[in-house]
Amino acid sequence: MTARAAPAPLPPATTVGVLGWLRKNLFSSRGNGVVTVLLAVLLAWVAVNLGIWVLVEADWTVIISRAPLYIVGLYPYEGYWRLCICLLLISVLLGMSWRAWPKAARRFAFGFGAVMLFVGVFPHEMAPDHRALLLLNLPFIGLGYVLTPRPAEAHPGRLEAMAGGAIATALGRVAIFSTPRRMVIAAFGALVLIMILILGIAGVPGLDPVNPQDLGGLMINLLLAFFGIVCSLPIGIGLALGRRSSLPILKVACVIFIEVIRGVPLITLLFMSRHILPLTFPEDLNIDRVYLAGITITIFSSAYMAENVRGGMAAVLRGQTEAAHALGLRGWQTTLLITLPQGLRNIIPAIVGQFISLFKDTSLVYFIGMLDLVEMGRVSVQGNQEFIDNGREVYLFIALVFWVFCFSMSFISRRIEGALGVGRR
Amino acid sequence: MTRLLYVQGVPIWRNVVALRWAVQVVSAVVVLSTIALFLLNVAREIEARDIPFGFTFLDRAAQIPIGEAVIPYQPSDSYLYGLVVAGLNTIRASVLGVILATAIGILVGVARLSPNWLLSRMALIYIEVFRNIPLIVQLLFWLTIVLTLPRVAEGYVIAETVFINNSGLYLPWFEAKDGFWPWALITAIGLALAVYAFRRLNRRETETGQQSYPLLAAAVIAIGLSLVALLILGPLAIDIPQVEGRFGRLQGGAQLSGSFMALLVGLVVYTSAFIAEIVRAGIQSVGKGQTEAARSVGLSGMLTLRHVTFPQALRVIIPPLISQFLNLTKNSSLAAAIGYPDLVSVANTMTQIAPAISLFMIVMVSYLSMSLLYSLIGNLYNRTIRFKGA
Repeated sequence: MTARAAPAPLPPATTVGVLGWLRKNLFSSRGNGVVTVLLAVLLAWVAVNLGIWVLVEADWTVIISRAPLYIVGLYPYEGYWRLCICLLLISVLLGMSWRAWPKAARRFAFGFGAVMLFVGVFPHEMAPDHRALLLLNLPFIGLGYVLTPRPAEAHPGRLEAMAGGAIATALGRVAIFSTPRRMVIAAFGALVLIMILILGIAGVPGLDPVNPQDLGGLMINLLLAFFGIVCSLPIGIGLALGRRSSLPILKVACVIFIEVIRGVPLITLLFMSRHILPLTFPEDLNIDRVYLAGITITIFSSAYMAENVRGGMAAVLRGQTEAAHALGLRGWQTTLLITLPQGLRNIIPAIVGQFISLFKDTSLVYFIGMLDLVEMGRVSVQGNQEFIDNGREVYLFIALVFWVFCFSMSFISRRIEGALGVGRR
Repeated sequence: MTRLLYVQGVPIWRNVVALRWAVQVVSAVVVLSTIALFLLNVAREIEARDIPFGFTFLDRAAQIPIGEAVIPYQPSDSYLYGLVVAGLNTIRASVLGVILATAIGILVGVARLSPNWLLSRMALIYIEVFRNIPLIVQLLFWLTIVLTLPRVAEGYVIAETVFINNSGLYLPWFEAKDGFWPWALITAIGLALAVYAFRRLNRRETETGQQSYPLLAAAVIAIGLSLVALLILGPLAIDIPQVEGRFGRLQGGAQLSGSFMALLVGLVVYTSAFIAEIVRAGIQSVGKGQTEAARSVGLSGMLTLRHVTFPQALRVIIPPLISQFLNLTKNSSLAAAIGYPDLVSVANTMTQIAPAISLFMIVMVSYLSMSLLYSLIGNLYNRTIRFKGA
C-alpha cells in the first residue's frame, strides 16, 4: 500500500489571483500604495464630473441638429446617396481585407460596421433610404469577406500582398487579393469609382457634378489626406532617389526642396499656394481652392515621404547591393529592383504614421477658406448666436472623431509592424 | 572626321568618363531650366497681373496694432520692427513651450515605465489621447475654456498675488533695479564654473570610481554664487499685480494673455505626449544586461542610472527630441487661429495693405533659419556623442 503524497500546499492567497495582481502592480510598496490611492481618487473625480457633464449638463443639439455639416460639409442633399454607395464600396473592400488579413483588418471592419450600425439606428433626423443604405454596409462587409479566397498558407506572392495590403488596409480603401496585381486593379477601380461618385460627371443623369467648394467636413479631411499620401508616394520616391544620386545639381535641388518644405510650417505653404500657385496656371482658368489645397498638401507630404523612403532604403543591408552587383546588375537596376522595393517594405509603418499626421494637418486648410471638420465646428460656434456657449461640446466632438480615426490607424500600424517583422530582419 | 570621336580606340559614346559627364550636364540643364522656367513664369505673371511685390514697404509705418509684445511697440513703428516684435512673440511661445513640454514629457515618459499599473496606464492614456487629436482642435478647446473663466472683477485670486480670469493669467514677476547687469554677469560666471566643475568631477568619478558628487557641487557653485550676489547687490524687486481703478483692472507683474495661455497649454500638452513616447523608447532601448552588469560590478541604483542607463538613453532620446522642438516651433504658427500675435498671424494681418508674397517669403525664411538653428544644435550634439576611440 503506497502512501499518497500529501498535496503541495497552496501558495498564500496574497500572491495569486486578483489579490496577488493588486499587490504586485498597485501596492508593492508603501509609496506605491499612496500613489495608487491618490490616482484612483483623481480618476474617479474626473470620471464622475465628465460623466455628469456629458450626460446632464452638455447641450448636444449643436452637434445633432447640424450633423451632416460636420460629416460632408455643404455637399448637396440630393447627392447623399452617392456618398452612401462610396461607403458600401469601402465596406466590400474592408470585408475582403478582413478575410485576407484577419489579424489587422478584423477589428477595423468591426469598428466600421459598428459605426454604421450606430449612425443607422441612432434616433435623429435622417431619411429612411439613407438609413437603409448605411445599414446595408453590414451585409456588404460580409459580402467582401465571402468573395475573397482564403489566403494560402505559403503563397508565393504573400509577402508582396501583405506589404501592399498593409497600406491598403490601413487606409481602408483597398482589399487584398491573392495576387498583388489584382489587388492594385481593385484599388484603383474603387478609387476612380469613388471619385466619380463624389464629384459627379456632367450630363449623366443622377450624377450631377458637385461644386468642389461644397465638399467639406470630415469628408474633405479624409480625401485630402488620402490623396496627399497616394500622390506624394511617387514624388517622394523620386526626391529620395534624387537625393541619393551622384548628380550634384539634381542632388542639391532635391535636398533644398526637401529641407525647405520640412523647415516651414504647413500654414505658410498654404498661404503661399493661395498667392503663387494660381500664377502658374493661365489667368482665365479659375482653379478651385480644393485643388490648391490638394496640391499644397501633396507637396508638403512628399518632402516628408522622401525622407521616409530615404530612411527605408538606407536600412536595406549592404549585402543586398553587393549581391546584386555580383550578379551583374547595373547601378540603376540595383536601385530599382533591389534597394527600392525592400526599402519600401521597410517604411510601411512610417507611411501609416505619416498618413495620421497628414490627416491631422489637413485641418489647417481653413487658412485658405475651406470648410473642413474643424472649421465647420468653429463656424457653428462663432457664427450662431444660439450656439455661442457650446464651444466645448463642438470641440470635444471633433476631437473624438479625429481621435477615433488616428488611434485606430496607429493601432493597425503597430500590428503591421509586428506582421512585417520590421526591425527584426 | 569620325576619328575625332574616338579616344584611344573607344568611341566617345562608350567612354565612361564622357558618358558620366554628359549625364551630369544634361541633368543639370534639365533641373536648372525647370526651376528658371517656374521662377520666370511667376515673375512675369506678377508683373502682368499687377500683383504688388518688393521689399520697400518694410520701413513704412505698419499702422496695425499688435495685442501683446515683448519689446515696446506702437502702430507707428515700421513693418520690419512689427515683424521683429511678432517674431519675438513666436520665440517666447516656443522657448517656454519647449521647456515645459520637455519637463512634462519626461515625467509622463518615466511614469509610463512605472511598476505601478495605474500610473503607467494613466500615462498611456495621456499619450494616446493628446497625440491623436489635431493641435488646432486642442487650441480651440483650450481657448474656449479660457474664455469661459469669470471676468476680471470676479476672477480667481490665489494668495492675493496670482490672478486668473478670462483676460489671462497675472503673476508676480521680477523687476530689474540698478545692480541687475553686474548680478547677471556674476550668475553667468557661476554657471560656467558649475559646468566646468561638473565635468571635472564627473570625469574623476568615471575614471577613478571615487564618489565625487558632481551634480551637488555644480548646484552649490551656481546657486551659491548667484544668491550671494543677489543679497549683496539687491538687483531684483518683486512686482505683484495690483487691482487698480473702478473696473478692477490689473496692473503690474507678468501678464499672460488668454490666447497665449491657450497656445502654451495646447503646445505643451500636444508635444509632451510625443516627447513622453521618445523618452520611454529611449529608456527601454538600453538593454537590461547593461543595468544588470552595472549592478553586479557594485554600482548603486543611483550610480547605475547616472553612469550607465542615462548616458545611453540620451543618445537615443536627443535627436528625435530636437526634431520635436522644431515641430513645436513650427506648430506655434497655429496661434493665428486663436488670436495670439505670432509671426504668421501678424504677417497675415499685414497682407491687407502690404505685398503678401514678399511678407510670407520673409516669414518662411524666418522659420527656415529657426529650423537650421535646431539642426545645427542637433549636429553639434551628434558630434559630441560620437563613440570616441576604438
